[in-house]
Amino acid sequence: MNKEAPLSIAERDFILNALREGVRLDGRDADQLRPLKVSFGEEYGHVKVQLGKTSLIVRISSEVTKPHDDRPFDGLFTIALELTAMGSPAWDNGRQGDLETYVTNVLDRVVRHSNALDTESLCILKGVSCWSIRADVHITDYDGNLVDASCIGIMAGLLHFRRPDAVVKDGQVIVYGLDERVPVALNITHKPLAVTFHTFDEGKQVILDATRKEEQASEADVVIGINNAGDVCFVSKFSGSPVDAMVFVNKTNVALEKVKEINGVIDKALQADLAKRGKGGLAEQSRAENDR
Amino acid sequence: MTSPLILLPGDDVPPENFPASSGSAPLRLGPGLRLLSSQPTPTTSSKSHSTTHVLSTTQPGILSTDHKRNGLSMQTPPNRRYIPTANDLVIAQVHHSSPDYFHCVVTPQAPQLLLGQLSFEGASKKTRPMLKGGDLVYARVLSVGMGPGAEAELTCVNPATGKAEPGGLGPLTGGMVFDVSVGMAARLMRASSSSSAEDDDGAVAGLVILAELGRKLEKVGGFEIAVGRNGKVWVDCANGGDSAVKATVAIGRCLSAVDELGLSPADQRKLVSRVLREMKVES
Repeated sequence: MNKEAPLSIAERDFILNALREGVRLDGRDADQLRPLKVSFGEEYGHVKVQLGKTSLIVRISSEVTKPHDDRPFDGLFTIALELTAMGSPAWDNGRQGDLETYVTNVLDRVVRHSNALDTESLCILKGVSCWSIRADVHITDYDGNLVDASCIGIMAGLLHFRRPDAVVKDGQVIVYGLDERVPVALNITHKPLAVTFHTFDEGKQVILDATRKEEQASEADVVIGINNAGDVCFVSKFSGSPVDAMVFVNKTNVALEKVKEINGVIDKALQADLAKRGKGGLAEQSRAENDR
Repeated sequence: MTSPLILLPGDDVPPENFPASSGSAPLRLGPGLRLLSSQPTPTTSSKSHSTTHVLSTTQPGILSTDHKRNGLSMQTPPNRRYIPTANDLVIAQVHHSSPDYFHCVVTPQAPQLLLGQLSFEGASKKTRPMLKGGDLVYARVLSVGMGPGAEAELTCVNPATGKAEPGGLGPLTGGMVFDVSVGMAARLMRASSSSSAEDDDGAVAGLVILAELGRKLEKVGGFEIAVGRNGKVWVDCANGGDSAVKATVAIGRCLSAVDELGLSPADQRKLVSRVLREMKVES
């Protein structure tokens, strides 16, 4: 019961035949994203992402904890993704499927291991206290391409999040509330995003941002994690049939183009949200310059 | 006109909403209604109601009464889950087969329905269709079991006549299946069942999309369509030649756009023209 409904033979054949003619089910080009919408909630670090029919909510939160003994200068950063029955009837609450393990792994590699969030800046007092940043990803609707959508959500959330200000006074850590001092933005070193491609027809057809049906009909998937500057920080091809090496070379350029496009969407949404918050906010009240 | 009567699951249908029956015709129940009991009333005199029915709803929605056909049905919200009801036409996908039955998936993540190996038109032990997992079948829900562990059954023939009635029941080959909401599927069924009788303005439930597509795609050889009440629409443009794939995709896009956006008839016509132009299907 807790399985994705298999695709019928007719659907599989049709998707493949259509791709051979260069047609996708929703009329997109092979290298075209579905409509992407990024919006922010009331609080800092609350992001809603809508990529076609895939939608998810990311919530970033912070708390003060003790750093790991072997890394006294580093703060903590964790990504928690759980596929619950809310997102798709094919998922069970509390049971980890292959997809969940896979997506968590890719997100960890692309966002966490590429040091997108500078964890050293989260240190408050060496070996005693540091910030622990946690990103929770909640899938609310699933129509393929979970990796890219979650990555967009997490990066937008990290850029949007503001943690409370904390100072060390006489060996004592004082954390100021969000209404006491201007909250601090996280130190983001670069903005990597994952771009997923799916291959069909022995690697001859490669498409971007597949829907659920296309994912099911595909032979293999290729994930490229890349940032605005064109630094590739993650490449994977976990399973499926072999993919020609040239696909990686060619599609990296496409991925770079898409990452710039997506980051543009995120930046625009961020600017709009900050402009809205700026009016009458604490940051404006506590500015040193005034209009006199 | 009186305000529509909204009922929740478990509500009893008030007797005053029953169709004014002519006496002999049996009461026809649509999906979402269940007969709890029916008792013959003491035939005192020339009372037209010979039996008293106690009906209960199983799904929330608006009650609609059809006096002409002596029927009662529930208009349910468009995105509800499909629950098999007897006499529904559905598109089922064969999951696996056992000696006597094909086990079919009608709704994903719901119990499978059984389709007898011999319940096809003209099927005998030697001529029965050999379906394998992943094949599609257009079938009618024969019966739904009651209680836990009950199995619902599908059929592709009318048991009384041995013919595939209504026409088109049986295995579906080729083509493509598009997912629409269950409410949209119901609207398409109503629209297609009456469009043959009426002219091109026969906009049942505000749906002209199929008529419009049929007219526009006549030049590329027309298309075949089968609507399943379980929210699946099978489309095939077998005569389409080079533009068969594009025409099929165009139909799928039109259907899902109408489903999601709730377009008016005029907008539906515009949508068809726009999608066909985008897909470069000449019309």
